[in-house]
Amino acid sequence: MSLLNNLISKASQLSIFDKQPTEKRLSKDELFCNEYHISQGETIVDECAAELAIENSFNKNFPEVPLESNLSQLRFLSGKVYLSQHFLIFRDTYDRQSGCLKLHLSMVKQLKRLPSRNYLFLLSILTYNDLRITIQFVGIRSHCEQFSYNLKTCLTKNLKATPELVPFLETLYSEFLLSKNGSSRMDIVTPPPGGLGLIFKFPGDPVKLQNRIKTKAWWNYLKRNGRNLCINFDKSFLRLINVGLPNRLRGEIWELSCGSIYDRYMNSHEYTDLLAKNQGKSSIAIDEIEKDLYRSLPEYNAYQNPEGINRLRRVLTAYSWKNPEIGYCQAMNIVVAAMLIYMSEDQAYWCLDKLCGQIIPGYYSKTMYGVLLDQKVFESLVEKTLPMMHQHFNKHDIQLSIVSLPWFMSLFLNTMPLIYAFRIMDIFFLNGPKTLLQVALAVVKINGEKLLECEDDGECIAVFKDFFHSLDEHIPDIHYKNKTRFQELLVVAFREFSHISDETFVQYRTKNRNEVISGIESYLKKAQLRKLPKTPNLKEEHLSNVYDRYVSVLNNNYVEVGSDSSVMNFKMFAKFMDGLVDWINLEEKENIAQQKSFLIKLFKNWRSDEETGLTLENIAVGMNKLMEHDLMTSISNFFEIYDVNGTGKVDRDGILQISEDLIFLTTPWRDGYLFDEITNKAIESKIAEKIVEKRKNFDSSDEISIPSEMNFDKEKWVHEQSQRYLSLTSNFLHRAFEYALPEEENVDLIELEESEGSEKKSVIANPALNPSAPVYLNLPTFRMVVLADETSELFFTRTFKQSIHLDQKVEKGSTNVRDLFNNILADGRRVAVEVRRRINSDHTSRSSEKSQGSNTGAYNEEDDDFTANDNNEDNDYLLNNAEANVLNDSIPVEKGDKAFLQHIDHQIGSDQEGEKVIDF
Amino acid sequence: MSSNKQITAVKLVLLGEAAVGKSSLVLRFVSNDFQENKEPTIGAAFLTQRCTIGDKTIKYEIWDTAGQERFQSLAPMYYRNAQAALVVYDVTKPKSFIKARHWVNELHEQASKNIIIALCGNKYDIVESEDNDVSTENEDDDSRKRKVSVQEGQTLADDEGLLFFETSAKTGFNVNEVFTTIGKHIPEATSSENAAGQERVDLTNRLDSSSTESTCQC
Repeated sequence: MSLLNNLISKASQLSIFDKQPTEKRLSKDELFCNEYHISQGETIVDECAAELAIENSFNKNFPEVPLESNLSQLRFLSGKVYLSQHFLIFRDTYDRQSGCLKLHLSMVKQLKRLPSRNYLFLLSILTYNDLRITIQFVGIRSHCEQFSYNLKTCLTKNLKATPELVPFLETLYSEFLLSKNGSSRMDIVTPPPGGLGLIFKFPGDPVKLQNRIKTKAWWNYLKRNGRNLCINFDKSFLRLINVGLPNRLRGEIWELSCGSIYDRYMNSHEYTDLLAKNQGKSSIAIDEIEKDLYRSLPEYNAYQNPEGINRLRRVLTAYSWKNPEIGYCQAMNIVVAAMLIYMSEDQAYWCLDKLCGQIIPGYYSKTMYGVLLDQKVFESLVEKTLPMMHQHFNKHDIQLSIVSLPWFMSLFLNTMPLIYAFRIMDIFFLNGPKTLLQVALAVVKINGEKLLECEDDGECIAVFKDFFHSLDEHIPDIHYKNKTRFQELLVVAFREFSHISDETFVQYRTKNRNEVISGIESYLKKAQLRKLPKTPNLKEEHLSNVYDRYVSVLNNNYVEVGSDSSVMNFKMFAKFMDGLVDWINLEEKENIAQQKSFLIKLFKNWRSDEETGLTLENIAVGMNKLMEHDLMTSISNFFEIYDVNGTGKVDRDGILQISEDLIFLTTPWRDGYLFDEITNKAIESKIAEKIVEKRKNFDSSDEISIPSEMNFDKEKWVHEQSQRYLSLTSNFLHRAFEYALPEEENVDLIELEESEGSEKKSVIANPALNPSAPVYLNLPTFRMVVLADETSELFFTRTFKQSIHLDQKVEKGSTNVRDLFNNILADGRRVAVEVRRRINSDHTSRSSEKSQGSNTGAYNEEDDDFTANDNNEDNDYLLNNAEANVLNDSIPVEKGDKAFLQHIDHQIGSDQEGEKVIDF
Repeated sequence: MSSNKQITAVKLVLLGEAAVGKSSLVLRFVSNDFQENKEPTIGAAFLTQRCTIGDKTIKYEIWDTAGQERFQSLAPMYYRNAQAALVVYDVTKPKSFIKARHWVNELHEQASKNIIIALCGNKYDIVESEDNDVSTENEDDDSRKRKVSVQEGQTLADDEGLLFFETSAKTGFNVNEVFTTIGKHIPEATSSENAAGQERVDLTNRLDSSSTESTCQC
């Protein structure tokens, strides 16, 4: 027997793991919490196969522990017990519906180990609500011992929650009901607080709804199976729910079914505390709530009355403070207004929390992905279960999800008459979101014939509207004799669509998840990009890449995609920049401090206020600054990064920081990872020289072929460039201090010091070198210092932008020195121009006319780019021209740079491509 | 109304920030009514209204969308295949005008090419008196309730090729004119011209399928 049980429980465990093929696989503990509707965070402390018997011990003569002789008469269920921090849960393994005990440890009044008999290990638990539970463990002795030890430990830890127990039980109608009818040891005189229905009447006629009979049935059930914090759910629980809950118990059974009762018990003061803490504060959510207060179930009297409105306001507001990510979403007002008819504020608050957090997550979130996903699931299920309907909808381009969205969002509350919607809610809280799907499918199925005649969305909406308003009508059909349409709906929904299980739901959600999320993502992307201010230095493609990168960095931290309230903190920003620019590589530990210090400055420079991080707009505007095309603006943008206080001055520390940052920012060029224009020109010129040398008797009419590879002294170029960048920094430092202006206000101080001691005199002679003499750089001086050096001027004009890879979707490019050389060859046009220039200048004297003639003949669009250079007849082309070009802006740099990346692949692949042929 | 007349069905969508009066405009147009407290629009509400303009009858199929920010990603479901759009802002709320601008941009980018867009500055009743009062002409006056000038609205409309109105759902000012003008701009519907799904033409005299439907003589 025990072996069999073990096997069964193992098998059932396995199936738990198999049923969640979600992307993010839930842990065993998470599954456990979801399955038993207890709050996330509980973990399974221990589990053991066991047999369990539950009896009501209210009878005065009932022994506290079962007598040995009676044991054989007990009706044992066999299954498994789980122990978590606050719960003892038993589930029947054979039939999941026949028994499920949920016991909050606070309810344990007494725990006793029974004298062992036949090697059986028995525990007896007596609860505050008069249940006597006998557990007979199945398994090896040591495990049983361990389990009972763990149980004891958890009980001890839980002791401090117990004082809250009695006041909590007094808020529950079930306790009052039993106490009133003399079936409980508790003595509760005052009825507990309840919903607005107590004041404003519950919807529907209580006689017609058989309220009394239902209450009595529940009284019987609760007496036998326990209630609230310790209750056994068996088949009749579901049956009682299916016939509709009695008014006074409805709220409590809702919170019990969905599990919010446990959250309320364990956080008994949160609701009032939260309201008190945030009193008088305002928020966007509150404004939105105010707008809708009078528009929530306006047909119900309470919501024309301050009492009802105030309760609704308080619950919605409190929740918006608890969960600012959701805040307030229209439809929540309707759901909460409905709950408040049957529930106290505290109950409704926790029930709403459970709803948004665990039952229908994402329904009311900022992107509403949950409800959109379930519309997709619904449409897929219509396709699968009602293919004819699906075809019809497709044919006429009817979007069912447009119609069904409000059903799901408002849990049918604004769709059907309230009394019926509440019946659906009764089942929904117990069975979860699949209930909504089952009902929606049934609605479509029942109206199938009429819907097949509809040719557009509007007509469908009319059919549904008619149907929902005729739910109380009797059906003439013979099968449904004397049944109302609503009863038909229940039968179809929960019998014909009973195969829509949680597993099916999860499966369909997983299947459609990516499509829905990417749909929302691409919509939000477009919408967000549309909202951005103009960024003239960034191409559309650049912005798109910036957005993708931004979102991908955020996604690691937020489940919610593209939420527009999301901002980047510094850590995310660093991740964003990592690899996007050549000078940030977070894996490079050597200069990590330097990288971070620069990033912090950039971060502070880009954000709009000190409180928050970077928004997408901040990033786009910031990137636009980095990519600035205009030299002067580019310099002043850079200056601003160091002008932290916005005074227009950068002090001594700032100057030193700039120079340090310049060293690290120029790393890609110093290491020969990138070549700047000067180096490129020099190499091109060298290649041209070689080609010309090889073919001394060149005639300008000859074709120039550029070899695909050439031997270079690569080290030499890298070294030369590296030197140039080192001197850039040292020149900067030197010039910056040379031209730095003394801080005038402090001049007096220096003079004072001077009169005090004369040993500093020689230093003071040059205030810039005196570390104690404050100096500063203003923008004009900074500009002058930058422009004084050719490499640095070029750096701000174009070079720096080389290191920013906004056009790359992939991570860091793996360009190396060899590629750079090959690339110069690949972009043969420029070399060819250089060759042509050299030949032309050699030949000018003897055949100028001829060469010019053929030049015009071969004139084409590509060559057009070089005409500006052609005018420059200077033989000493190399450096002068580079400089001239910086000023004239006439070199087709962008083309060159692009070719840089594009041609690498071509080059490696085929020799033919390498042979660029240019006609003269 | 002659029974043989063609009825052109026009799908029209209302967009705009929350609480600018989208639903109220529709209610005024469809039922000539005004209500202070209406149930909020979840997703979107659907209403129809017939309108006779000259010799043609137009059946407006109106999708009145929810204005709350987070519902915006649903909008494409509703403006899909729409022939006309009403972008509404509140003349007393500059933010709603910015939002209107976003909607216009989105429609131009995403909606049907030939969509007719009307820009509506609603709640004209609030500013009507100060507009007529010459003494408060000073534009910079903060106490003025009007925060979006007629000129701003007109400029946006001119730049983007929109119809432009200032309306009041409360008093009914200009409301029917909006719909009539849109109707006049709807191209004469002949089935051969229609791209599939772009326009729906109701050639038969089908029974009114919607309970909200009524008729109006504009």
